[in-house]
Amino acid sequence: MNKHLLYLITIALFAIPNVHSAQTAPKKFTFSGAARGYFFGDRLDQDLAIEDTITIPRLNSGHVMADLGLNIRPNKNMEILGMVRVRNDYGGFWGSGVTFDIRQLYVKGVIGGVVRYQLGDINYRLTRYTFWNNDQEFLQNTPTIFKQQFDVVNYDHFHNLDNSWRQQGGAAEWGLVFNKFIEELEFHTFATRVRASNNSSINDRIFTGGNVQIMQSKFLKLGWNYVNLIDVEGTSRNNTLFRNPVSSFSAKGNWDNATWDATAEAEVGTSRTRFLNDEEAPENNGSFSEVRALFKHKKSGLFARGTYKRVDSDFRSPGAQTKRLNFAGVPTAFQRTGNDQSLRPLTMLDLMRESSMYNMQLQPYLMTFLPKYDNITPFGDATPNRQGVIVEAGWKTEKGLSVEVMHANLQETRGEGTPEARKFTRNQVNVKWMRDEISKALPRRAALELSLRQDQTNRAGTEFYRGVELTTTVASLGLEFELYEKLDFIAGWQFIEYDGFDYTAVRNNYAEIFNFSEYNVKGKENMKAAGLRYRFSEKSFLSAQVNMFDFDDADVNTAHYAVRQFMMLYQINF
Amino acid sequence: MKKGVAMLLITALTIQGCKVDEEFEGPSLTDLYGSFAILEDFDITDRSVNFSENESTTFTATFNKNVSWKLEIKGLSSGAVKEITGFSSQLDATNALWNGTTTVLPMFRPEECAVELTFTNEADTLRDTLNVTGGRVNTGFLLSDFETGFPSGWNTFVQSGANMTFIVQNNNGAAQGARYYDMGGTVGWDWLKGLINIPATAYGSDHFELPSNPNGLFFNVMIYKPEEINNALVLFQFKEDDNLDGTYNTANEDLFAVEVAPSVNGWSLISVNYADMVTLVNGQPAAPIGNGIREPHKLKEVSVLFLANPTSGYSQSYMDYLIFTQNGPLIP
Repeated sequence: MNKHLLYLITIALFAIPNVHSAQTAPKKFTFSGAARGYFFGDRLDQDLAIEDTITIPRLNSGHVMADLGLNIRPNKNMEILGMVRVRNDYGGFWGSGVTFDIRQLYVKGVIGGVVRYQLGDINYRLTRYTFWNNDQEFLQNTPTIFKQQFDVVNYDHFHNLDNSWRQQGGAAEWGLVFNKFIEELEFHTFATRVRASNNSSINDRIFTGGNVQIMQSKFLKLGWNYVNLIDVEGTSRNNTLFRNPVSSFSAKGNWDNATWDATAEAEVGTSRTRFLNDEEAPENNGSFSEVRALFKHKKSGLFARGTYKRVDSDFRSPGAQTKRLNFAGVPTAFQRTGNDQSLRPLTMLDLMRESSMYNMQLQPYLMTFLPKYDNITPFGDATPNRQGVIVEAGWKTEKGLSVEVMHANLQETRGEGTPEARKFTRNQVNVKWMRDEISKALPRRAALELSLRQDQTNRAGTEFYRGVELTTTVASLGLEFELYEKLDFIAGWQFIEYDGFDYTAVRNNYAEIFNFSEYNVKGKENMKAAGLRYRFSEKSFLSAQVNMFDFDDADVNTAHYAVRQFMMLYQINF
Repeated sequence: MKKGVAMLLITALTIQGCKVDEEFEGPSLTDLYGSFAILEDFDITDRSVNFSENESTTFTATFNKNVSWKLEIKGLSSGAVKEITGFSSQLDATNALWNGTTTVLPMFRPEECAVELTFTNEADTLRDTLNVTGGRVNTGFLLSDFETGFPSGWNTFVQSGANMTFIVQNNNGAAQGARYYDMGGTVGWDWLKGLINIPATAYGSDHFELPSNPNGLFFNVMIYKPEEINNALVLFQFKEDDNLDGTYNTANEDLFAVEVAPSVNGWSLISVNYADMVTLVNGQPAAPIGNGIREPHKLKEVSVLFLANPTSGYSQSYMDYLIFTQNGPLIP
């Protein structure tokens, strides 16, 4: 046994330097960053019986900013990045409205050619149930013309394309390579500070975890993942300490031949939510399991995927359930409208551009969500109290066409307020066609996107309480056409309609449901935009667009209004 | 290994299935939103109940949903009130049993009682009556309930002020039974209006027959504050014969005290754990005079001092039902 262990360690010590040393010597100093000029001109039109004489109907805002980063490589095993943000709001000359911030700071490198580390700002993710930054509502299928504004808020809040969370702390990883039984063993670990103590009643809160991955072969990969949100004892006078460990076991198997490519994945795990030294607090234990299989026909580009999942109602995973959007917030643009200056409800226009609504920190509780926008997966794949199957199929051609259809049939694992479970149905179709050259005769870039999603929530009622029936329809259409070399006409339309009734859970400080409120919605939101984009390069563009947004809701004071938006964005990354 | 993964997938699917938990999360929607209906009428199992013989009575009713309810039993002669509350769809022996206890003093006595059942957020009110043929009897070392007049063996000192009323009253105003002790008067030259000494010899022994362990031993007394009187102080002193020589020596033996300043109009129950009693000097905690150990079995005498600021004019307070109880305060 000892001989065998020694053999493995020896292989590892010789193998690791080979993995990490084949790098060319980089420059000692390099610059990176981004710059942006952004301008909005909004006009509010209200359809009211009595004219609103209070709300100012026009609103202009904008800024220019630059993120200036300096990469320093003191030696081949170390890199330091410091990035400052200089921002000036339009109209903020002579120092007024000018801000200087540290946007990013990290040190990373390799110790002894074996352990990679990073200290400071780190982007990290594990699995969709342990540590994952889920996309915000409407992001995935929104047309390019709207995505430009989503991209700005996501960039500003470090919501990255790879669904990682920006954290501050440290991370390390290392690996062992074997020549028998398994190919590679990887270790990843991290610890970040989520919240600082106020030296009085709020404890330091850290998020820590890691995973171990076993690459048995190209056919099989196994992993064990663990994260925990922890209040650090003794960092304040408050001796109530939050703990939320989540652990999971994941497996992924691949198989292919000349015709087919197949992948099977599974992840099962548990969570335990506790408030130590708080006698009134409950201790919740939850679990989840997900199995999915993907089959691809190599030649035709056809694929099909099936997923079964079950996420307990008590499953809590702050790393995977925290939302990007804080729906408890209020918009800053036209915040109050009407002669009685009532708060304007959030709309998809606000979701697209309201920086103040975006959250950057992991939250220990389930955040507020709007059922009218997404009542099925408000907390991503890790949304608690869901079980069922999801079937997807698609076709992807080499000529730039992709078609995807999806059907999800889910229900609650535990009823809310009744033993009867809500049933959820989602049907979605996405069609995308994109060509860098339409043809030899017409060497112009063109793209067409079409998406349709319909969500349905149902639960039978009784003589004592109402049945649940909530329908949300989201449709979008996007168009890009290169008019002249690198000058594109872009246009888009996005439409949301919601209608129905549900009971929304009101939770206490321990996330337990203690009441329900009646949720009635009937309305629609319609957003159309058209504009021009000039692509200086793959990393920079100038875009100008006119956006017409209409909001029509039967149940709010601001029953109908429209926002006409002119937006200009110059973006460059370097 | 491939088989292992397949087994894992199959096991996960088999174990979990698509079953829905039987217990639901949060409060019942039926309870929150359902219309209220009484399925079984309000009833009382024993309409003539004698609590002095350990009898009890149960209120019953059945509703179509869980609801917050309140039962109020009011003595039509004494004015005593008993409240029982709950959140359920049924009233039965588990949640609506009455053994004669009181929520608002005075204690119930043999009398007719009105019963009222009300519900939060519902307009319905259900009413009934019952007859109490015997009041609740509490166990403990009873100093006096004044039902037989001023106890023999007790002695008093009353200042020669104006309107002095250190007497047993019998005017339907007692906290328990029919009689109580009325202390009142105006003494312009001294805080002390009058005092009562209750020696252990009044009960036929040198020391009160109390346990040696002060933990769990409670001294209870019911004190009445007249609505217009705000200056009364009632000081209870507990004199221990630390050296068991048969006498209490003020110089070197313990005197623990409880000072009561009645603040709520009407009758209130005062219950003090003997182990928590302290030595008081001018109303402030002070170092013990004797060995500092609470020794109820060495209690030689209890004194009741009725005090008031001499410049504050007339003062008055009543007391009733002085009793030591073990294993907890008095449940009237």
